[in-house]
Amino acid sequence: VTYKWLSYTLGVHVNQAKQMLYDYVERKRKENSGAQLHVTYLVAGNLLQNGHVCHKVAVVREDKLEAMKSKLSTIASVHVYSIQKALLKDSSPLYNTDYDIVKTNLEHCSKFSAIRCAAAVPRTPPEPRAPAATQSPQRQRDPDAAGAVNGHGPPAAKPAPQQHKGIMGMFAAKAAAKPQDTHKEAKAEAKEAPGVSAASSKPPIKNNIMNNFFGKAAMNKLKVNSVPEQPKEEKEVVKPSVAVAEPDSSPNTVAEKPGKKTEPARIQQKDKKSKTKRADRSDDEEERDPENVKKKRKRIKQLQSDSSDEEDVPPSPTPEEERAPSPPPAPALKTELEPASTEGSAGGRKRKRKRVLKSKMFIDEEEGCMGKTG
Amino acid sequence: MFSEQAAPTAQGLLAPPSVEPPTFPRVPVLGYSDCSQPFQLGERSFSRQYAHIYAVRLAGMRPGLERRARSRWGSDVALRKLSELQAGEKCCVVGTLFKAMQLQPSILQEISEEHNLVPQPPLPKYIQPSDELILEDELQRIKLEGAIDVQRLVTGTILAVYGAEQDDGRFLVEDHCFADLPPPLPWNGPSSDRFVLLASGLGLGSVSGEALLSTQLLVDVVTGQLGAEGEQSCAAQITRVILAGNLLSQNTQSRDTINKAKYLTKKTQAASVEAVKMLDEILLQLCTSVPVDVMPGEFDPTNYTLPQQPLHRCMLPLASAYATLRLVTNPYQANLDGVRFLGTSGQNISDIFKYSSMDDYLEILEWTLLAGHISPTAPDTLGCYPFYKSDPFILTECPHVYFCGNAPHFQSKLLQGKEGQRVLLVTVPDFSATQTACLVNLRDLTCQPITFSGFGADSED
Repeated sequence: VTYKWLSYTLGVHVNQAKQMLYDYVERKRKENSGAQLHVTYLVAGNLLQNGHVCHKVAVVREDKLEAMKSKLSTIASVHVYSIQKALLKDSSPLYNTDYDIVKTNLEHCSKFSAIRCAAAVPRTPPEPRAPAATQSPQRQRDPDAAGAVNGHGPPAAKPAPQQHKGIMGMFAAKAAAKPQDTHKEAKAEAKEAPGVSAASSKPPIKNNIMNNFFGKAAMNKLKVNSVPEQPKEEKEVVKPSVAVAEPDSSPNTVAEKPGKKTEPARIQQKDKKSKTKRADRSDDEEERDPENVKKKRKRIKQLQSDSSDEEDVPPSPTPEEERAPSPPPAPALKTELEPASTEGSAGGRKRKRKRVLKSKMFIDEEEGCMGKTG
Repeated sequence: MFSEQAAPTAQGLLAPPSVEPPTFPRVPVLGYSDCSQPFQLGERSFSRQYAHIYAVRLAGMRPGLERRARSRWGSDVALRKLSELQAGEKCCVVGTLFKAMQLQPSILQEISEEHNLVPQPPLPKYIQPSDELILEDELQRIKLEGAIDVQRLVTGTILAVYGAEQDDGRFLVEDHCFADLPPPLPWNGPSSDRFVLLASGLGLGSVSGEALLSTQLLVDVVTGQLGAEGEQSCAAQITRVILAGNLLSQNTQSRDTINKAKYLTKKTQAASVEAVKMLDEILLQLCTSVPVDVMPGEFDPTNYTLPQQPLHRCMLPLASAYATLRLVTNPYQANLDGVRFLGTSGQNISDIFKYSSMDDYLEILEWTLLAGHISPTAPDTLGCYPFYKSDPFILTECPHVYFCGNAPHFQSKLLQGKEGQRVLLVTVPDFSATQTACLVNLRDLTCQPITFSGFGADSED
């Protein structure tokens, strides 16, 4: 049992785990229960070696502890590394335990560490670019947009929570658990309540959290777009997205209530994330992208032009339309996309179907390995 | 470094569990800019000859050398080209050195039928007393003799020699000089303690288990899991980790698959695949906590010629998801918090080691800085891309920290230049052999090695 194993298994801070181990050892020894415990310690400190003062970090057995401590000129830290019943011949079991436990928890490996790094945020996976897709958006712009947005609405809702789980996994070094949970709940609620505006906010959220990578690229694509034709609608859509985006991008547990205060934060965040002075709407549109992006998390940029071009067109009738189809509570992404595709306008349907297919392929592949795009 | 700060709370964790233990935020990166654009190759075409790189090297370094020559031997010293030399006249010539070595492995000799030679096994050093130095400039070449250390110098160095031509056509050298330290960069270092961890030669993929524990300990110290609170707060001051090459071990370079028949190797995987997966996991652990720069090395899956291009991020799917991972070229140059870092994964230094009598890696490192060129032996004995517009290995500005990876031991030195340059020279040891990494303190340019060890079956420390 190493401190790291204990920390992951019990979900406690590493320092607490170390202290727990020490406490256990002390108590057991006091009880004198006869079960022999072998303890290894970690010692760190300064040591004069080869003429320089070298900082040494060593795992030592208990019997060697004092010897090691006397060798070091200054001791920086001592703590219990592990406890085991049998005497260890070498340190490989320790390494193996740690290796296994870390491997099973790769996503959260810094969760219990003593250092939090604010910069370590997973970046948005790049937008897949399908050359074929680029033509279709141009051909059927308007209906696509409508259908697209429509289609995006409900799928956004479902994939959102699922992907959010995955993304949550990738989040490191944040007390991300809590905000994420509330966020998800917020999203779930938002789903029912303001309908698609909230739903579409979810992709925006994701997009906001995830990053410039794709953001910039999409932005450039959307450069050709006209400025918000329906600024009002966008603002609406945007606001909830902002609200929900907040918790993800920074560990604030912001309620899903679209608030004016979130907007400046969001704009700030937008500015931070995407250096272009984008209108809200393009952000919104770009947010639809990540839905697809999320589905194909580590795709090569294939569908980007696809989605972004679609979203070029102002989502005019969309908010109303989107409200109508409430996201079906189908857990699977695929089934999710099917109803999404059936709703909406004809042209959009065609578009969506194509998109759905593509996504499906990605999903399949995603489960397997990082394969090529369909 | 760590120890003094950490000592007070050293025994803090030998106690019953306390209330919520503190977590320390990592010091944020104040300023980082990657300056290694010259080392990034765009489109690569190998159809050019290598003569161009020597020509641009000479052209690029000639002005600096002429200035140095003037300042050293008087401003009225005659600067001549080889074609303008007159017998007996004392003058100064700037040119490229070529060392004719008998033992130098030559592909022409190997494939030559008439000699029937077995290819020469790799030797640690190829120098011989019979080596000769020849100075070349744009048009001519001349043999050098005199007050010049033949054994020490290597091919490709640009230098200025002062002497006179003899009647027999050789140049008698009285004195010579190099480009010396390049002009200094302004110092914008941080005011508080910030550390950068330099490690190289992780050597994953080899069979040694002991080194794996040490690697894990390294990761744990940097991510703050190991150590008492004092040490963890010190570790939070590590702003960056630079992995200087040789992340995979030499064992992963199995070439058997090329020689064996295809049906025998069908089910086998290259050893580097497993090693890269392990590397990905380790990098993921590091990336969640600290920005990491990964430089490729001699045994890493990237191109062989210098400058080595960054590892492709598809090889590291888990770790690439984080913005804190940066895959960079070898050599690598960057501004970290106002301090300019320049370093390589060690191929240039080890190549000079083979062809020169200099034995100490730190000495060689210092010499390359004084010679004004990161890797003079490229492209002669070290693979290099055929540059033709400019030679990116010429040192134009003096870095604050100059390091080389995969050295046999850790050494460091603070070099002071005449024009106020302060350079910290660090030879980063091979981690798989020595379990040592280096911590550079950016505030005062000091460096401390940090060693890790577990306990083995022989239980000696």
